Amino acid sequence: MLSTRLLTKRYGSLTAVEDLDLEVGPGELFGFLGPNGAGKTTTIKMLVGLLRPTSGTARVAGIDIMAEPERAKARIGYVPDAATLYDKLSAREFLEFSGDLYHVERRLRDRRIEALLKLFDLHERGNDFLSGYSRGMRQKVSLAAALLHDPQVLFLDEPTVGLDPQSARQMKDILQDFCKEGKTVFFSTHILEIAERMCTRLAIINRGRLVAMGSLQELRHMVGQDGQSLEQIFLELTGSREEDVSAVLRGLEE
Amino acid sequence: MSAPSCVASRNNPIDRVIAGLEVGLLLWRAQLQMFLNQTLRSRKAGRIVGTIVSAAIIVVAWSWEAIITWIGVQASQRAPVQIDTVHLLSLAFLAWTGVLVFSSLVFSLNALLLNPDLDLLLAAPLPVESVVAGRMVVQVLRLMLLGLVFTLPALLVLAIANHNPLIPIVFAALYLLYPIPVVVIVSLLTLLLVRFIPVGRGREVVTVFGVILALAINLLNFLFNPAFRDSGFARRPRVPPTLPDVPAASASWLPSGWAGRSASAVLRGDWLAMAEWTLVLLAVSTAVFVAGTILSGRLYFAGWIQAVLPRRRQPSAVRTRRLSGALPLLSPVLASIVVKDWRMRTRDLAQLVRFVMPVVFIFVIFGLRFGGLRSAVQSLGEGPAAAMVGLVPAWILLFSLSISLGLTAVSLEGKSIWVYAVSPNTTLRFLQGKCWSAALPAAFLVALVALAAEILIRPGWLWAATAILLAVAQAVTVTTLMVGIGAVFARFDWTDARRMLNPVGAFIGMGFFALITGGSALLLAISLALAGATGYPVLGTWLAAMTVSIGGAVAVAVLGVLIGNERLRGLELG
Repeated sequence: MLSTRLLTKRYGSLTAVEDLDLEVGPGELFGFLGPNGAGKTTTIKMLVGLLRPTSGTARVAGIDIMAEPERAKARIGYVPDAATLYDKLSAREFLEFSGDLYHVERRLRDRRIEALLKLFDLHERGNDFLSGYSRGMRQKVSLAAALLHDPQVLFLDEPTVGLDPQSARQMKDILQDFCKEGKTVFFSTHILEIAERMCTRLAIINRGRLVAMGSLQELRHMVGQDGQSLEQIFLELTGSREEDVSAVLRGLEE
Repeated sequence: MSAPSCVASRNNPIDRVIAGLEVGLLLWRAQLQMFLNQTLRSRKAGRIVGTIVSAAIIVVAWSWEAIITWIGVQASQRAPVQIDTVHLLSLAFLAWTGVLVFSSLVFSLNALLLNPDLDLLLAAPLPVESVVAGRMVVQVLRLMLLGLVFTLPALLVLAIANHNPLIPIVFAALYLLYPIPVVVIVSLLTLLLVRFIPVGRGREVVTVFGVILALAINLLNFLFNPAFRDSGFARRPRVPPTLPDVPAASASWLPSGWAGRSASAVLRGDWLAMAEWTLVLLAVSTAVFVAGTILSGRLYFAGWIQAVLPRRRQPSAVRTRRLSGALPLLSPVLASIVVKDWRMRTRDLAQLVRFVMPVVFIFVIFGLRFGGLRSAVQSLGEGPAAAMVGLVPAWILLFSLSISLGLTAVSLEGKSIWVYAVSPNTTLRFLQGKCWSAALPAAFLVALVALAAEILIRPGWLWAATAILLAVAQAVTVTTLMVGIGAVFARFDWTDARRMLNPVGAFIGMGFFALITGGSALLLAISLALAGATGYPVLGTWLAAMTVSIGGAVAVAVLGVLIGNERLRGLELG
């Protein structure tokens, strides 16, 4: 469903992502982890066609995103980190606009909008301007827009940021149901507990390079210690700096 | 020093004032750093060149100002004229007060309602008074700098001519001291005002103030400018025939009088009088600043901290109607872009003003002189020349609309551009949607104005129809071209709608507008001359000129859109 081959993105002398090889199958809920600035958002933006790779290829739903961007994008749903929406549109109007951009037939679009607004508990405020929405509510509207055209692959960049525990749980259920239909979810997160509980497979990226990929069990084997939490595995693979932190904090107290 | 001890030491009111000065200088330094980072240190060739070009323009303007001042000084030495310099300079300072009030209001509303760094400052271990005072210091420094930017060359010339190097220094001191009371009073009022204006609507309030000021200036100009005295609008006979004087401007109890006396004294070389009046201004400004700083804490707790929350806003019943049904000929994607842009422009007051202001100014320019203009144009009689005159208001409107709607159409997306960029549509389709969204309202309004003008002029229905047709065709093509230029100079990183418009893009757009409308007028004039010289039917040559004019404009517009599309394709819109 999703594959990359030697995917690389450079900004001048800075290499954000280097030689990334990923394979994600249908029905997978794939977690993409990494420290701040590791290249997660850059990777997702290349996969949804927002950024052009410096080299390498990426195929989504079997379509090369660079060669046939419109065909590939029709099969993709995307929820960005801190989505900027049109403040002066209501949620319903924004979803109508989004549906039209994805060529969803009008009656089907309206039916889906009502269903999604109900699903995300937004139907009572569906006619309010988005400027009055909280970050979590905007996140829900973004997810609703991403689901509206029934994509085959859903990309989410830090989807749980700003969501209350109830909404985070609801989002988790929605994503799992989405995968049960044979579709794929690819999401980045900092919250390792969520990744640990939700994902069928994980990839960890550090300084633009893939350092590990597999199921949680496979990652545990990789670091050589069964029973470790994902947090411990993550810190080990990305380089723990606990001692440095303690030293700096002691220095501040003096 | 640890943070708590720093706070404890600033409980004294004077310490708070000093802390305010420190915060102000800190903010000023940060602004200078940001300016340098965005210009000379940006490592972007375009920005560096833009900065150098802007600096060169300022130097040229300064040179002109210096030359004109030098000529004035030479003339006054050869033919001395008795001028009451105290009153003249006091009047100038009083007039500057108007600018100070408006700019302080805009700055204070921006600083207290819009700038996101206020929360950061208020969360820091600083007294509230020092934060507000810091804002006031930045505003005073900006106004002083602005005063110097406009007058420094003249002051330097006067210093050389009078052999008095202190002239620029004393004027700089006056520019620093004079705005303080205004800035303090306006800032304090704004602190209270925020209690009644929701923070999220600050930009709209600033926009409304801007519109009111613009209209007031136009109206005052119309009512008092002797150049408008000859005809038209029936004014009251009591209005004096010259620009009004304000006798109280130089009164010894007004700050404008103190500043005027001090400025006049330094020009005369009267050091004692200069020091006396500058010290009066210094004492009063310092007292106002100290009192204002101390008071600002109380007003903050009475006003700002209890600021009202914005009401939940919903589209009105009329607006929620399915607008897209009104565009049956467009594809759903194009129609949805048109409808979405229409909603964005009409629901955001700052955007709406951009859209409506040209129409208002058409009324101000032509409506107020309606009687005189009508009698002038009706004397032209029937025919193509009269019809062409009727296009003038339509062109003026088109000039404004094509810039406000066309040039900003692409950048209107701002940071929401990702919504479109991830959708399965090409950039060309996006641009097509933008062309429709800008051209439809522009063509409609231009057609209305052209129709109204032709009805008034009555050049004959056939000539009127061809003129309206030409106006509509030009509205569509010029606006489309502007969309293309806007795409070439698109920016999606703005947070303030005023920054959507790229000045270089606007300059190029204006050039093309002049080329298209000027070329069109020239072709039509040639067609009339040709008909006169060769005996061909005027209608034939007129229609031929129209066809060539519209065809050329269409070609330029299509080219503009294609170039804009190439530019958008090359961008990474994430």
